[in-house]
Amino acid sequence: MTAAHPTRIEPSIFHRLAMHSPDPENRLWTGIREKSMMKLNSTGFPHRKIEEWRFTDLKPITRTEFSGMDKAGIKPAAGIEQYFIPESDRSRLVFINGRFYENFSSIGGLGKGVTVGNLRNYPKSKIVQDYLNKLVNYEGDIFTAYNGLMFEDGAFIHLEKGAKAEAPVQVLNLYTDSEKPFIANPRMLVVAEEESDVTIIEDHIGLGQNCYMTIPVCEVKVKQKAHIHHVRIQRDSIEAIHMSRPIAYVEKNSEYHSYTITLGAKLSRNEPRVIQEDEEVDFTLDGLVLIDGEQIADTHSVMDHRFSHANSHQLHKVVVNGRAHSIFNGKIFVRRDAQKIDSFQENRNLLLSLDGLVNTKPQLEIFADDVLCSHGATIGNFDPEEVFYLQSRGMTEEKAKEVLTYAFALETIENVKVDSVHKLLVEEVYRYTKANSTPKAKVTVS
Amino acid sequence: MLEIKNLHATVESEGTEILKGVNLTVQKGEIHAIMGPNGSGKSTLAKVVAGHPDYEITGGDILYNGESILELDPDERAHAGIFLAFQYPVEVPGVTNTTLLRESYNTIAASRGREELDPLEFDDYIKEKLDLVEMNPDFLGRSVNTGFSGGEKKRNEIFQMAVLQPALSLLDETDSGLDIDALRIVADGINKLHGNEDAVVLITHYQRLLNYIVPDFVHVMIGGRIAKSGGKELALELEEKGYDWLESLATVNGEAK
Repeated sequence: MTAAHPTRIEPSIFHRLAMHSPDPENRLWTGIREKSMMKLNSTGFPHRKIEEWRFTDLKPITRTEFSGMDKAGIKPAAGIEQYFIPESDRSRLVFINGRFYENFSSIGGLGKGVTVGNLRNYPKSKIVQDYLNKLVNYEGDIFTAYNGLMFEDGAFIHLEKGAKAEAPVQVLNLYTDSEKPFIANPRMLVVAEEESDVTIIEDHIGLGQNCYMTIPVCEVKVKQKAHIHHVRIQRDSIEAIHMSRPIAYVEKNSEYHSYTITLGAKLSRNEPRVIQEDEEVDFTLDGLVLIDGEQIADTHSVMDHRFSHANSHQLHKVVVNGRAHSIFNGKIFVRRDAQKIDSFQENRNLLLSLDGLVNTKPQLEIFADDVLCSHGATIGNFDPEEVFYLQSRGMTEEKAKEVLTYAFALETIENVKVDSVHKLLVEEVYRYTKANSTPKAKVTVS
Repeated sequence: MLEIKNLHATVESEGTEILKGVNLTVQKGEIHAIMGPNGSGKSTLAKVVAGHPDYEITGGDILYNGESILELDPDERAHAGIFLAFQYPVEVPGVTNTTLLRESYNTIAASRGREELDPLEFDDYIKEKLDLVEMNPDFLGRSVNTGFSGGEKKRNEIFQMAVLQPALSLLDETDSGLDIDALRIVADGINKLHGNEDAVVLITHYQRLLNYIVPDFVHVMIGGRIAKSGGKELALELEEKGYDWLESLATVNGEAK
């Protein structure tokens, strides 16, 4: 947990780009911008001598020359309707390169007590004033500082006391093709008041093969007895950089279940955090990562148990092929006096190629004595007995491996309860396993 | 149907020789029992015939319908009609019994000139087979062997045999771990499946199974070879006398273990 060393601060790409904010007249978030600017000025760019960034190759960022959105040669978005999920026909927010598009959005179908819209339209809302940028807690993180300085629009989801969203909310983030690399700053604020319930499908999709960086910052507040089911799908362009920071605060008797599926981006760094604010909570931070080629997928998570009686679950499954690299650091904090915690963490890695790389570091810091924390991390290839068993039942070696990969990956998405999204993810898993059972991925199992 | 000629096999990673010249001929319609003490090579023989990659054939040959199968992958052997019921069936979490069996049935059907079945036809087809081993239909939707008891796993192997209809079944200690009722169910299933066109090789430790399935031939394996062959009465003799008298027989020429 070393913070950036203060003497190493040099002007970064962010400082340069921050000079020409695209909308200087927009004073909506002045306070947030001033704070973010101060943070940006006092924060260095991460590098591999910092423990938290030891394994992560940041060259895809440092070697790229990013342009301001106005100079990037942004191409128009086409065919975006194919990404609309039918369940959210009337509960959809669409953002293109971080900017809200009302014409593609549809928000009539959520029922009483549910507000869904663009943050920019709610600057006077007490909820927004109380929580926006107040929940972000990423010390020494230049990416959140940059997002705070630059974001213009964002998804705002608010549920009044007892409100149950009648449909899942789809927050569709699209990134267009462009001539030059650009940076998008999606933002999200979700506040679920007492006893409310909502499912959120947050989708990030690259429409081209271009390089861009997206820094989605998401703040979630789950009040007493409220439930949130949060599915996050990352299907960015294969040249993209995805630095997401979703943070959730869970109050008494609340539940927050999040499932992150990482498929795209050349470099992704996902830093989900869940912070317990009272007793009797239940939360999930599951992940599925399917990578190949030169992809780097990094997950640094925090599950912070601050009070007694919590159930937490983290199953992080990874399939690595080609020269891809997966990094996992799962921090589980159990504070002093946070008793009767039942916390489960497992990181399972299926390493399909000789050139692939996996770094995994479960990190449990437990200061209470009456807790149950199980954790495990495994890295392996297929069990040869499993392959032989399936072969002896008539499957070719390739087919057997395809079936085993598919089965391995499927477990993590079983809990996604929106049908079309579940189906979509099954198809994505199938597409990945199919593409990776070709001879190029052949691994000797003996 | 199956002709094993002077077969030698070693564990590939260690080079330890397990099979030291096995000769065995199995004809259509026959049931053979292979018995013998622990470590004599019985299970290895079954795995080698099925094509397990851990073993290297260092001498001899395996002919199936007159042709050597040494170069065939395990799946190709399965396509040709060879089936191995595993001593320790493997758990495959995430793959349901139905998925596995439909995939298997259809690939094997295609190569053996049977008609492939679509999912609906296949459902009807496997439901019939469930009764044979008295299995609950819920079973089909469960992941292969995952969380099954020892007995359920063994029954599942025979269920798979029923569905896949192999020409040559190698049953590796299918009786071990079964209580007396489960043993009867499994044995009845095997008896019903066996006919004039297929052959069964039972690998077993105990004579007990042979009370239910009557073999045409009994072979005793000791030290990587078949030390003695005979009719079903040989099993009874073994039950009475143990393997010791055969072990001395096997070392007569001072060469084998």
